[in-house]
Amino acid sequence: MNLRLKQRRARLRAWLRPPRTLKVTRIGRTYLVVTFGVGLGALNTGNNLLYLLLGLLLSMVVVSGVLSERCIRDISVRRVGTDAAFAGEPFAFRWAVSRKQGHAFALTFSEADSPLLGGGGVGYLPANVEHVVRANLTAPRRGPLRMTGVRVTTTWPLGLFAKTRVLPLEGLLLVYPKRTYACQEPGDAERGPVGDSGNPRRNDGSGDVTGLRELAEGEDARRIHWLKSASTGKLLRVEREREERRTWVLTVEAGLAGDALERRCEEVAALAHRLLDEGHEVGLNTTDRRLRSGAGSAQEKRILRALAWLGFEGAREEEEEAA
Amino acid sequence: MTKGSRLRLVLRDVASGCAFASMAVSGQLPLWTLGLYGVALVAALAGKRLFARRAKLTALLLLGVAAVLAVNVTSGALNLVVAACAFAGLISAHRLLSAPDAATDGQVHLSGLLMVAGGAALSGELVYGLFLVAFSVLSSVSMALGVVEAAVPEGEPVPVRAVLRPLATGVTFAVAGAMAFFILFPRLNWNMTGPRAAPGLGPATTGFSNTVRLGGAGTIKDNPRIVLRATLSPDPGGDALNAYWVGRTYDIFDGLEWTNAGGVRREREPLLTLRPGGDNLIHQRVELLPAYGGRTLIALETPSRLGNAVANGSTGSRRTFLQELAGGEARFLEAGLSYSYEAYSLPPGGSGDTFRRLPSVEQDALLALPEALDPRVSQTAARVLNGEREPLAAAQKLAAWLQREHAYTLELSGEREDPLADFLFERKAGHCEHFATALTLMLRTQGIRARLATGFFGGERVNDGYVLRAGDAHAWTHVLVPERGFVTVDATPPAHRPSQGSRLLQRLLGLYEALESRWRNSVVDYSFRDQVDVARALVRPPKGSESTERSRLPPPRAWGAALLAGMVVYAAWRLVTRLVGRPRPHEATRFVDLVEAVLLPARLFRAEGETLEDLDARLAREGHPLAPALAPATRRYLEARFGGRPLRQGEAEQLIRALQRAVTAHVRLEAQRARAAAAEPRARAS
Repeated sequence: MNLRLKQRRARLRAWLRPPRTLKVTRIGRTYLVVTFGVGLGALNTGNNLLYLLLGLLLSMVVVSGVLSERCIRDISVRRVGTDAAFAGEPFAFRWAVSRKQGHAFALTFSEADSPLLGGGGVGYLPANVEHVVRANLTAPRRGPLRMTGVRVTTTWPLGLFAKTRVLPLEGLLLVYPKRTYACQEPGDAERGPVGDSGNPRRNDGSGDVTGLRELAEGEDARRIHWLKSASTGKLLRVEREREERRTWVLTVEAGLAGDALERRCEEVAALAHRLLDEGHEVGLNTTDRRLRSGAGSAQEKRILRALAWLGFEGAREEEEEAA
Repeated sequence: MTKGSRLRLVLRDVASGCAFASMAVSGQLPLWTLGLYGVALVAALAGKRLFARRAKLTALLLLGVAAVLAVNVTSGALNLVVAACAFAGLISAHRLLSAPDAATDGQVHLSGLLMVAGGAALSGELVYGLFLVAFSVLSSVSMALGVVEAAVPEGEPVPVRAVLRPLATGVTFAVAGAMAFFILFPRLNWNMTGPRAAPGLGPATTGFSNTVRLGGAGTIKDNPRIVLRATLSPDPGGDALNAYWVGRTYDIFDGLEWTNAGGVRREREPLLTLRPGGDNLIHQRVELLPAYGGRTLIALETPSRLGNAVANGSTGSRRTFLQELAGGEARFLEAGLSYSYEAYSLPPGGSGDTFRRLPSVEQDALLALPEALDPRVSQTAARVLNGEREPLAAAQKLAAWLQREHAYTLELSGEREDPLADFLFERKAGHCEHFATALTLMLRTQGIRARLATGFFGGERVNDGYVLRAGDAHAWTHVLVPERGFVTVDATPPAHRPSQGSRLLQRLLGLYEALESRWRNSVVDYSFRDQVDVARALVRPPKGSESTERSRLPPPRAWGAALLAGMVVYAAWRLVTRLVGRPRPHEATRFVDLVEAVLLPARLFRAEGETLEDLDARLAREGHPLAPALAPATRRYLEARFGGRPLRQGEAEQLIRALQRAVTAHVRLEAQRARAAAAEPRARAS
């Protein structure tokens, strides 16, 4: 019900929104003031040269509108996206832009109706050439960010007016928690030198085989013991000893909300980054999800994704349903 | 700085220069502002941004300049509008010398816009229009390059050529739109300020003084500048009018210079009647241009009435009164840069003046001779006339003698003690003043009344009127003939009466004058009445157009046909461009088409979406007899289309011929089989 309502609202908003928006630039404002003055002068004095100048100024306004319209027409955009977007810091974002016919000039791109700040531009876009526009965007907060369209703006030809068009394009950007310094210690490791200190029987090493266990989701398929898996009929992975790694399972406590949740997410993300960088294994416990311990950049990405979705579980379900 | 940026800045600076020039052509800006701006522009074009580091400090200079201008305005030395325009120019100059950035560019363009608006207030010259268009084009290109440059990532070149094409189209449409707006926008007033005048380039050339001093070089005859425009009614219609336009006459000669007897006759009159006229007067609407430089009215010989005078200044026009002086001179009471008035003149043949009605001082002066007149003058006159006493015949006889015996020259150096004797007996060469003086005095020595007249000779057709040049300035003789009054007799050889300047220069100036005339009529003086005429012409042809003289312009249907032809040519051009620019089919694709055509007799068709290799594979699967013949063609097609091995010269024909042979054989075989099958007896079921 809630989803339908939102969709209806979005549709109504899109219907009510004009196809183009026009904004007068700073120099454009002065230009209009001068035009107004010339018009007054012409009417007041009857000076035909002022009428001629007024005609020229007004014609330039009209021509400017026509040329800018031709410029932002027939443009198609697709999102190439980004590798990783962290809240509060610029990240590289790309759009692939093309147009079927005619040239376009001085285009700037940004995400419409989204809190993403920043944009990218292209000076000249010839026909039938896909141009990748790069931009440094900044997301103010963590979480999934729904993108509804790409805003294309041009000040072509004279820079007097900025004409904007929104190209509808649905998309989702998952913004990871802000990267900060981890002030707190991660606590005791589950296995490792503390408590289990000195125990060489640690998983996922490169030493001797310590045992077999069922392959969990997202684990490296190269660890599969194919012979045993074939005989048992399920995927089993080899566990090998490791000498120096320890395992932590970081927790985001239940009941946190608002700023407290944000701070905790940032803290956990920073800890995870530090520990994984040191070569340890890190897992994550949240209210409704548990990530098995793992190492490497892929594990960090998994943790960041899980943290990004924290507090937005409803949206995640919708997303999964839609997928 | 990239090449595109440099180009943008040069265009910006030149556009600003054009805007300043649009004001400068009015000739009203103070010279020091012209100098300052010129220096700034040259420095900017040379890439020397002298104020780049101290923009705010140097802005104080503008305050100083503003103070100087304010003092000039308050002291009455400078018009407020002129001062404002000059200040706009100096602001632009300051911005030109500042560091180029987006804000500075905008300020330069906007100050240029202000200057162009100021130029419209100061000047109505054709040159203004040219500078306006130049400013619009250059400024637009510069702004567009700036917009694109701002969006181009750093280090990448600005696509100048790509920008110019759509922009050129846009500017063309803008100019067309401006013209449409100009023509159609209703004029809510009647342009009550009247025409403004600008002094133009260079000092005034002719004018009239109270005396004519004999001697010196006649440099004015080389000057092709136009000093007078006139529209005559009835229009004589010829290309060269060759008429005498009189300014004033002189009757006392002291041996060196001519002066007048008497002073001001009428002080302040709106309309001057110099002599009565009949119904056959020639009406003249005259405009004296700034190059004229005098306040004496000029009219076709012999003027009867003068009036409706308007003095045009830099701020507008105002009516002015006239003053009549001795020598039949009429003067404007108020000074202006240019003047316009109406005059009525008697038709050629004589002034109709009678001796008795002339003022007594003039009567006495018409026979006065200088005390130290060389006696040879009188003797020569008597010898030439040989007893001829009739004034006009005597004057013509003497004029013919002078033209025959004396040469025309403008190169007369040095002052002479007796210039007349020097001309007649020593040098035997002189210019129009020498010839006219000699004739006048020789007549007087024989008791025939005569006087010297000065003005212009000529009249060159430009559009619907006539123009006079400074070089047309001339002097001639008025002979008093009983019953006819003063009759013009010109002793100067006919070839040397009009302007003696360079023909090329005269033609160029004539062309400019024609354009200027069109500009003035179509733009500067465009009014509500013209708009009504335009509207009326659009609705129906003007009344009486059939009866009046046919227009020199082509008829409307010719314009329509030309427009239609233009559209057809444009459409054809678009079609050709599209055909030429369309993607040409690959050679291999044409080969496939040929293969398809060859296979048709065998009733082998490609299914929807089936490629040639699919067809080949299908035939091979089905064991079709043509599969072996088709296989090499298919393989070669694939190599040519996707393998980078194009078909060699004649290879396609070879493959096609082989396939054709196979197809023909196959078709023949099929036909034989069909015939055989038809000939076989069929078992009938019973």
